[in-house]
Amino acid sequence: MKTMSVTLLVAAGILASTSLTLAGPEVVSGPGADPSCFAPWNADTKYLQWPAQDGPYRIAVVNGFVGNTWRIQMIKTAKAFAEDPAIKDKIAEFKVVSTGTDAPAQLGAIEDFINQGFDAIVTIAVSPDGFDRVIRLADRENVVLVPFDNVLDTDAVMQVNEDQTEMGRQWAQFIIDELAAQGKTGGKILEVRGLAGNSVDRDRSAAIHETFDATGGDWEIVEVVGNWDDGTAQKVTADAIAVHGQFDAIAVQGGTTGAVQALMDAGHPMVPIAGESENGFRKLVAEHADDGLKGISIGQSPGLVAIAMKAAVSALEGNVMPQLISVPLPVATYDELEDGLNYWSDLPDNFFTVNEFPPCGVNISGPAIMAQSEADVN
Amino acid sequence: MTAMSALSTNMRQNRGLYGAVILLSIIYLIYNILHPRGFSSAVLIQNANESVAIVFVAMAQTIPVLLGGLDLSVGAVMTLAACIASVLVNGSPLQIVFGMVVTLAAGTAFGLCNGLIVVYGRIQPIIATLATGAIAIGLALFIRPKPGGDIDGDLNWALTNSLWDFVETYGLFDPDAPWFAPVAWIPVPLLIILVFGVCVWLPFRRTVLGRTIYAIGSAEGAAFMSGLPINRAKVAAFTLGGFFASCGGLYLAIQTASGNADITQAGAYTLNSIAAVVLGGTSLLGGMGGAIGSLIGALILRVISFYFRILSIDPLLQPLVEGIVLLAAVSLGAFRVLRVKNRLELFR
Repeated sequence: MKTMSVTLLVAAGILASTSLTLAGPEVVSGPGADPSCFAPWNADTKYLQWPAQDGPYRIAVVNGFVGNTWRIQMIKTAKAFAEDPAIKDKIAEFKVVSTGTDAPAQLGAIEDFINQGFDAIVTIAVSPDGFDRVIRLADRENVVLVPFDNVLDTDAVMQVNEDQTEMGRQWAQFIIDELAAQGKTGGKILEVRGLAGNSVDRDRSAAIHETFDATGGDWEIVEVVGNWDDGTAQKVTADAIAVHGQFDAIAVQGGTTGAVQALMDAGHPMVPIAGESENGFRKLVAEHADDGLKGISIGQSPGLVAIAMKAAVSALEGNVMPQLISVPLPVATYDELEDGLNYWSDLPDNFFTVNEFPPCGVNISGPAIMAQSEADVN
Repeated sequence: MTAMSALSTNMRQNRGLYGAVILLSIIYLIYNILHPRGFSSAVLIQNANESVAIVFVAMAQTIPVLLGGLDLSVGAVMTLAACIASVLVNGSPLQIVFGMVVTLAAGTAFGLCNGLIVVYGRIQPIIATLATGAIAIGLALFIRPKPGGDIDGDLNWALTNSLWDFVETYGLFDPDAPWFAPVAWIPVPLLIILVFGVCVWLPFRRTVLGRTIYAIGSAEGAAFMSGLPINRAKVAAFTLGGFFASCGGLYLAIQTASGNADITQAGAYTLNSIAAVVLGGTSLLGGMGGAIGSLIGALILRVISFYFRILSIDPLLQPLVEGIVLLAAVSLGAFRVLRVKNRLELFR
């Protein structure tokens, strides 16, 4: 018995090792499938094509950190989308695991799903580097690996994200336009930044500064660090108002509800504000827009997971896909807000409003996601 | 003490270890039965890869715990070592070896500093290492402010695979040679754990310093009165801890081919290392247990999380389930405490 199992192991080991014929995606020329949903990042984005496989497919989501609203909402969105009639028939098995902030565990989970014969693995990488081994294994087994949100520094896999630079640019442009309408071509801006050292924070902030600089106006931008968190953003905004007195406008990367709260607590006049897509922020803007709280809300949507899943299925069907997929920015300005449509007065403040991407057929509304039970064992 | 009672003391003191081995065997067997490709080299390689870093960090934690202290810097030292390795481990084979030696030396030196601060600064280990852990993370961030690095790709592939791939990558000899076949399937990470862990720990444990560590954990006053080298043993304990932590960091860097001064990850590894130590049957009061138990404990911790990938458990309930299973596993070891009439019995 023992010798037999050893022999089996040996055989399996040799089998696993000798099938090193590198498969994986082929670099082809565009355009790709469904360009309104799977838009290439820019003109230089290359296109990938995997050999077509017969469905239905086995798909896994390997999340890292879990424990903030965004991630929980992302997981709920993934589960809801897997049950969506548009894609349900194409999915044979769907699994979600969260490994925590632990690189070996995340790499291990991805490799485990490859070993189990899953067809596609969607992931938020805990680190922009270090995935060489799993990419190699995925290519060998023709598994489609799709990082989204926190993407990898590589062009060897298909990835899904929103353009953070464009987001920063639109925030700044909105403020510039609103202030221009007040007759101001310069002034003091408060910028509440995100987690230091993160590429998202870096890209958004750089774009904000470039856009202001490009106008040639006399802008003073005061930077504080709010860590994309309501509590922190509220504290640093209060501190900044206490020190600097008055700002002409505010740009917040995240934790916008807290920043607005600090503004109101300090009795600061309502000013134009650019922020994330928190439900609380949109509630406040809807309520106080007439008082001068003219806001633009652009979000990094937890619904990105649904687009990543859809892209994975499309790749498995053999379609030509852009290597880096740019998801259109979900923008809502103060005059477009409508209760029950793009914000919900009956849902919690820290709920992220943006989940729907009509060009992609991703139409899971906020209440539908919150209705997903946390208790059902599928 | 007669031979019989010595044997029975040994049995009693190692009950936690034996229990952990049995628990690990059972849950790992069931995992392999449930896994679609269970009992294959690929699964074993994946499991081993995922476990190396936490196994080393758990072993690093064990030695201060045997003294009756806690080392809150192990995760940070691992991170620091990984960041150093991500800068140095590349280039020619000689440079790679040099980078590895420097990485391990840096971690060991950091452990030595921990020991010196605890012994000569007379600061409680938990506080001293809380501070030095922050220093280690600070250094790691200084070395690698942003994740990255370029660790040799061949090294990454060779060390995270089976012996067959190792031989094939470096072209040492014909990997398909018949004499090699019986061992070709063995994962390299498993060998690394055995060579660096067991071959360092077991001999050390038998030295005077090793035995002194146990004596300090059992009764420091008695150890002192017996003329044991208490200060040297304490310094040695933290130094060896630093060495094991840097082994974990070095492997982590090679495995991810990069370094990342991730504070949350460092904290998670420190906490998990304490859990692994307890699971492996080492008493947090000191004087009982050993690094091999923690090796097993770390593997148990990992195997529990493996189950989430083959069973369908709601993703948001997984941390809850993991916590309950962990609590149950730790409680198994604590059952006998409930049965004893006099707590002194535990220390005899």
